[in-house]
Amino acid sequence: MKKGILFLSVILLCYACSVAPQKIEFGKDVCSYCDMAIVDRVHAAEVVTNKGKAFKFDAIECLIHHLTEKNETDMAFVLVTDFLNPEVFINATEAQYLISEKIKSPMGANLTAFSSKENAAYKNETFNNWKKIKEIIRKNTYLNNK
Amino acid sequence: MNRNIIVSFVCIALFISNISFAKDAQQLKVCSDCKTHTIKGAVKIAKDHDTLLLKKGIYKEHNILINKPLTIIGEEGVVIDGQKKGYIFKINSDSVALHQLTLLNVGQSYTKDFAAIYVSRSSNFKLTNLRLKEVFFGILIEKSKYGIIRNNHISSHAIEEAGSGNGIHLWHSSNMLIENNKVHNLRDGIYFEFVTNSMVRNNLSYDNLRYGLHFMFSNKNEYHKNIFINNGSGVAVMFSKFIKMTHNKFTKNWGAASYGLLLKEIYDAEIENNTFEENTTGIKIEGSTRINYRNNNFIRNGWALKIAGACYSNKFNQNNFLHNSFDLSYNSKLNDNNFTNNYWSEYTGYDLDKNGIGDVPYRPVKLFSYIVNKTPETIVLLRSLFVDIINFSEKVSPAFTPDNLLDNQPLMKRIQ
Repeated sequence: MKKGILFLSVILLCYACSVAPQKIEFGKDVCSYCDMAIVDRVHAAEVVTNKGKAFKFDAIECLIHHLTEKNETDMAFVLVTDFLNPEVFINATEAQYLISEKIKSPMGANLTAFSSKENAAYKNETFNNWKKIKEIIRKNTYLNNK
Repeated sequence: MNRNIIVSFVCIALFISNISFAKDAQQLKVCSDCKTHTIKGAVKIAKDHDTLLLKKGIYKEHNILINKPLTIIGEEGVVIDGQKKGYIFKINSDSVALHQLTLLNVGQSYTKDFAAIYVSRSSNFKLTNLRLKEVFFGILIEKSKYGIIRNNHISSHAIEEAGSGNGIHLWHSSNMLIENNKVHNLRDGIYFEFVTNSMVRNNLSYDNLRYGLHFMFSNKNEYHKNIFINNGSGVAVMFSKFIKMTHNKFTKNWGAASYGLLLKEIYDAEIENNTFEENTTGIKIEGSTRINYRNNNFIRNGWALKIAGACYSNKFNQNNFLHNSFDLSYNSKLNDNNFTNNYWSEYTGYDLDKNGIGDVPYRPVKLFSYIVNKTPETIVLLRSLFVDIINFSEKVSPAFTPDNLLDNQPLMKRIQ
């Protein structure tokens, strides 16, 4: 019995420390940057620090603003949602980014991530990589992105 | 053969008479055994500024495009069933009015914002007395102006589902009037993004997943006499300037991240005569400047006010703080906000000169609220003797709270 409890607590301890992406509870979790409830399943984003603490975001623009204040190398995971696969995270550095009024994002930047730029519906749009999109978003604060 | 010719002849005659009828009377009747039995068909043959009168019945139609000025009125018992396929009405003309219709079953999608009524680049439209059920988005308005949305009842089934849209969603619009509507079980009841000079009044917004009313990047708007009950949070005003909020009720927004009113990066607002009752947090304020809070009632909230950083030149005067667990939580050492002349039910001072104003200042921030801010779990210690002692010691000699964070003239009697 005692051994069982010990075993269980060891497992719980390991679980608590593991550095892994966390699932977003839509409608319950709140964006770490802007305080809004996360409800949009195609724009949610997340970072997990090397220590295993997860920060969840309702939009990729919030993730980018959050990273402005942090060091990106301290992050074990930087994740964004693939627009074509709701609730599926992809690596932020590997994603392609689109700014288009056709797809509105929760914080007004109209920024969306795709796993690749090869897709029929947005063939003629300009996509940006992670490095470029960070520069574009950081030029604008929320108040003047009109 | 002969008979066939006669039938087709009659048909042509009917068709011609129908056209002439539309020209003269300007009213088209639509019903299952009328000449025009679909709304789409009626819209097609209608002339500008005609009225379509829908007779009682169920119309199974979707993506009805209205591209000319029309008025569509339903008899009692008119139901338009979108069968979960896309939009129901798409309006892209000026001067369109919809009155007294029931619309239900709007399509759902992750990538498209399907709505019961989608209005795009239109002005002077009127949407009145509509009942929208099982919608994804209820009324979605883009790049439009001078619209009236009145006496509608919009609902969906979003209880825990996040795959739901907003009740009344406005984007890049101006000069809208939204009044006497009832919105519930949606994502946001009413949502404004880049909307200016608009008015929201006398609405009831409840049981919505996220916010009862939500402003983003929307300046110069007003909302009065609305009631917000049991939403994720009552109202969120974010990144907006010059908003007036009066006579609203924010009640029963319970939950770890639930607020009666959430203010984030807003400037120059007036918040007067509102009631915040039984919320986890009455108002959460962040990065907000030059806001006047007057004559509000904060009743039985967990926190009446939670002020989190970068808030300057705000004035809190003549408010009632009644039986809140915490009147105010504050996370900075600096105070540039004014808290005079409020009534605080926790005030234990005296008034020897009987002028109605307490002789000793009231300090609304309890030391324990700092501890709870740092470690939320410590809330279980609330009401314990130990916490009372540390709160008392802080009251006697403030060490953590900003020295000037106090009400120098606390009122002895509640403001009626």
